[in-house]
Amino acid sequence: MSVTASSRDPEPRQHTTGEFSNGFCRMGMCLKNEKWIAMAFLLIHLVAILFFTRGFLLTRTELPFHSTCSDVSLSPCLASPPPDHVSNSISGSNLSQSGGNLHQQPKCWTKPAVDRVIIIVLDALRIDFVAPSSFFPEPKPWMDKLPILQKLAYANGSSAKIFKAYADPPTTSLQRLKGLTTGGLPTFIDVGNSFGAPAIVEDNFINQLVQNGKRVVMMGDDTWTQLFPNQFAKAYPFPSFNVKDLNTVDNGCIEHLFPSLYEDDWDVLIAHFLGVDHAGHIFGVDSIPMIEKLEQYNAVLEKVVQILESQAGPGGLHENTLLIVMGDHGQTLNGDHGGGSPEEVETSMFSMSLRKHTSPVPQEFDTSSCKQDSDGKQICVSSIEQLDFAATLSALLGISFPFGSIGRVNPELYALGSSSWNIENDGNQSVSKKWIADYVDILCTNAWQVKRYIDVYSNSSVVGFSYDDLSRISDLYSRAEENWSNSIKDMLVDGDKNGSSNISALTKQIMAYLDFFSSVVELARSKWTEFNLKLMITGFGIMVISLFLQLLIILPGPKSHGMDSGAFVGLAFTLSIVLIRACSFLSNSYILEEGKVANFLLATTGLIKLQYSIMRKTMVKEAVTFLATVFALRISIDIGLTKQAATSQFMSSSPSWMLGMVPGHPILTLVSDIAPVLSLIILIYMLYKAINRTSCVGIWKYVTVGSIINYFLVAMQWASESKMLGLDVLLQRLGRNRIPQAVYGIGLVQLFLLAFARIFCAIKVTYGSKSWTVKTVAMVSACSSTVILLSGRQGSMLALAYILGGYCIMRLEGIERNQSGKGNNRFQNLNPLAVVQWSLLSVCMFFASGHWCAFDGLRYGAAFVGFDEFVLIRQAILLTIETFGFSIILSVFGLPLLMPLHSPTKRLFRMCMLYGLVNATTVTATILCVTIQRRHLMVWGLFAPKFVFDVVGLILTDVLICVASAFYFD
Amino acid sequence: MIEARKKKPETTTALSGDGSVSASVAFSVYLVSGLFLAVGFWVAHNVYAVDLVSDPYRTLRLIWSIEFPVVAIVYSLFRQKPDECSYWRAAARSIIGLVTGALVNALGAIVLGAPVGLQYLWKTINWSLLMSVFTFVPAAAVFGASWADWHRMFSCMKPTSNRDYMITVPAYGAIIGAWFGAWPMPLDWERPWQEWPISVSYGAIGGYIAGKLVSLVLIIFKKRHLNAKLD
Repeated sequence: MSVTASSRDPEPRQHTTGEFSNGFCRMGMCLKNEKWIAMAFLLIHLVAILFFTRGFLLTRTELPFHSTCSDVSLSPCLASPPPDHVSNSISGSNLSQSGGNLHQQPKCWTKPAVDRVIIIVLDALRIDFVAPSSFFPEPKPWMDKLPILQKLAYANGSSAKIFKAYADPPTTSLQRLKGLTTGGLPTFIDVGNSFGAPAIVEDNFINQLVQNGKRVVMMGDDTWTQLFPNQFAKAYPFPSFNVKDLNTVDNGCIEHLFPSLYEDDWDVLIAHFLGVDHAGHIFGVDSIPMIEKLEQYNAVLEKVVQILESQAGPGGLHENTLLIVMGDHGQTLNGDHGGGSPEEVETSMFSMSLRKHTSPVPQEFDTSSCKQDSDGKQICVSSIEQLDFAATLSALLGISFPFGSIGRVNPELYALGSSSWNIENDGNQSVSKKWIADYVDILCTNAWQVKRYIDVYSNSSVVGFSYDDLSRISDLYSRAEENWSNSIKDMLVDGDKNGSSNISALTKQIMAYLDFFSSVVELARSKWTEFNLKLMITGFGIMVISLFLQLLIILPGPKSHGMDSGAFVGLAFTLSIVLIRACSFLSNSYILEEGKVANFLLATTGLIKLQYSIMRKTMVKEAVTFLATVFALRISIDIGLTKQAATSQFMSSSPSWMLGMVPGHPILTLVSDIAPVLSLIILIYMLYKAINRTSCVGIWKYVTVGSIINYFLVAMQWASESKMLGLDVLLQRLGRNRIPQAVYGIGLVQLFLLAFARIFCAIKVTYGSKSWTVKTVAMVSACSSTVILLSGRQGSMLALAYILGGYCIMRLEGIERNQSGKGNNRFQNLNPLAVVQWSLLSVCMFFASGHWCAFDGLRYGAAFVGFDEFVLIRQAILLTIETFGFSIILSVFGLPLLMPLHSPTKRLFRMCMLYGLVNATTVTATILCVTIQRRHLMVWGLFAPKFVFDVVGLILTDVLICVASAFYFD
Repeated sequence: MIEARKKKPETTTALSGDGSVSASVAFSVYLVSGLFLAVGFWVAHNVYAVDLVSDPYRTLRLIWSIEFPVVAIVYSLFRQKPDECSYWRAAARSIIGLVTGALVNALGAIVLGAPVGLQYLWKTINWSLLMSVFTFVPAAAVFGASWADWHRMFSCMKPTSNRDYMITVPAYGAIIGAWFGAWPMPLDWERPWQEWPISVSYGAIGGYIAGKLVSLVLIIFKKRHLNAKLD
């Protein structure tokens, strides 16, 4: 102890005496370890993004498992052993009760209660469209416009009910349909999505229907056919894309709905009307078109009910049919939906059984709230979770519940459908007891299925549930199950010998199950639907701290020279450009047109530079060339925007400057064939020049020569694809995948060679400060050939524009230095404007190469250049290279080209850091904007994809900066 | 206005090319050009029953064709080297300035992202003519083809005299105003004035007027400064 203390003692003194020099030392040390600094920032960003993403992007793993009828034998419930006894007794009693086809089928999980179901989905059906106006503080013009539903629900002895249905956010049609059919809580990113296609891979209600031999007919919104491409026996999809069109989908629906009602070739019919949703989007809820739409629906529903009732007699087509009219989500008064506000979440469901008998639901499970209407009549509205829809309907139709459903069988809806069994029994007491006995058995199966899902999910998902939550749920379940096995099961099997005392025991059992369900749902909601603001803010805070740290590294250490006013103005201008871009993410419109915004800012800097160069009377040519490049990019961005507008639901812009150009014009095709090859040849020439000029030798030279070969190969591929010069013979002989594969192969070899050269043979000192120029040319050219190939024809032209733009930026950056020439001091001072321009240019490249920040903006075709079969990792890598090739990979590796010759390595590193800082600043702004706008209508459609793209871009940039600093700095 | 007209001949003789203009003269010049700008709007609204939003093409054409002669005539009074260059020559070369300036402005706007469709062609042309009246015409009338002066004024931003202030500050005001005027264009408010070139024209006119005010302040401030120095 004493020894260490004494030895430690003198050190602090040294520190205090040489504090200043020590600071220098530390700085020097830091700058020697550039790799470690870059790594540290990568780590910090990763942590920040991890925190934020955990709070914001709720993810759920899709499980590939499916329920089957035989599964139920594993459950402790009645439906399983002894199977003979139960199925016999039930089928026996049923056959005597009623004819019809349903009871001849083998029993699956539950006893089928209805034959056929008609599901009419009215998109964006608010609860106040359906429920009587007396339920709301004041009557509004859009209320009570569907009187047929109210009339049916409140008629004496009716077998219909109005429910207030609660949807879970995100309240967009696609997610809601997914939720309704899978019985789960779809999140923004359901991990396991098949590469872009929205088709549901999880087990779901529709899938179960098909599996159990039911025929499903669908008409209306084509989202259904996107989700279930193969499942429907018949489908009449209509495009849901055009929001301004109120009638196409509805008229198509009506046209097919009425004839179908007379058919017997289906078991489940789905009709999805879109008019109300579209009317809301365009005109708002309080508008004439909305009321007209509702009145139209009222007439349609009236006719549907009339047809159904006409055939509801014994032996009729609709003897045992259940009609459900429901909304998939609500909407605000402006017609917006997507978020989680009460107006958006509360939708309605009307359900009617064509059998005129209802079994009374015991008081304990009755959720209805009742009011007196103007006539003093009791009117009630029950409530239901949309989550329970899949399970309840599965139970009613007697099919196995979807594997991932976490809903429970809703007692009231189930009672409506299952009314048919107990008509023969006499006495209210025994009716309700029989019903409870049925219901408790179903709940038992239901609970077992949910527990199975939770167990499997937490075992197979990367981000499962916490241990505490799991054990709490397990406790609840095992308690309920124990009670079931010990007493209830025997009680049910033995039949009702003991009379009324059983009802309370059964009710208690049901209550135990309901406890279990509600805690599962609560857990699932907290995991899958609620933002965790604390985590989000933590992540954001870490990002802000990292920005400050990065700024500290970039700031020149000792300020030997004061900043002159010119440099200060330049800095302020640069800063304002970055800030304007950052703030632009606050608005959805600017995100949609981000490419144009970046281009606008880039052009602004270009104009300022032009003015500057005119002032200095040098390099006007470069400035004009730069502006011309920006203009060319702008045209390319415009073309990209038209592609985006074609698929985006938020855009409707159609730049008409292309009107003059007919797509098939021969000159145009010729140009589009020749121009890419021509620009490739120019690139080859430039590379050739570069090899000659820079005295590059050994491996570096071979690598660069390899790129030239690659360019030739790419040119050959394109030429043969467009059947130029008779090269298509070549293609036929080689097969069209050979050349791309060769390009990838050469590219990989180049990268290996570069790594090898970096490790084993450092460039000789004689080349001095030029070493990184040679390295950069080799590196960029090695990467570029693959990027160009993947980007398709535009690739070479974009690369040319990129090089031109970068060259102009580099030259223009030199204006100040050449003129002022104050000596070496200014050399170390890096010019932030050039880096910001480079970063803006790379953003422009992203959009100019036809991408945009949405998942439909990914060019999946690029993943299959050179390969026919699908291998996830390989194709994902190709897709990443294609997406971020120009905007990140080339721009990070090309960063050293921006520097004038003979500048120290230190400066290069600060430049890399500055580039990283600019990038991180915009991502931080995105994160902030996403946090602010997390309840925005477009949060899932626009802000979240933007966030994902930015975050992936940031991480990729950080990684590449690490690689670059390992590669470029000795 | 009559006063302003009266004053002008005196000032031109007093000017003699060195560019010193008193604040009151500058104010009256601004008043005249501002007034005719207002006249342009008034005529468009009351005579032709159009405005910038409903018919940008005709309105812009009307405004620049009213504003251009006024600016050309007024600024020709301040021409450089009045001995060598006649008044009419100065007015005539402002026409060349108008066309050239329109070309430069149009190119700048297109680089910044102005739409290039055929249906925008005439709107863009008229807008750039108006911008040219704000930016190029005064300088063309005063300096002609003297590259040194242009260079000093627009690139180096080193105005030396009050006359230079009168030319550059409103011109820069118009450009910066137009730049800001482009901001609301991508927003999804679906207002008619977000169309090209309406909001940009509003921004340019606003920036032009603001530039005039700023240059007046500068002129007055500079005079005080000079007076203080003399004392």
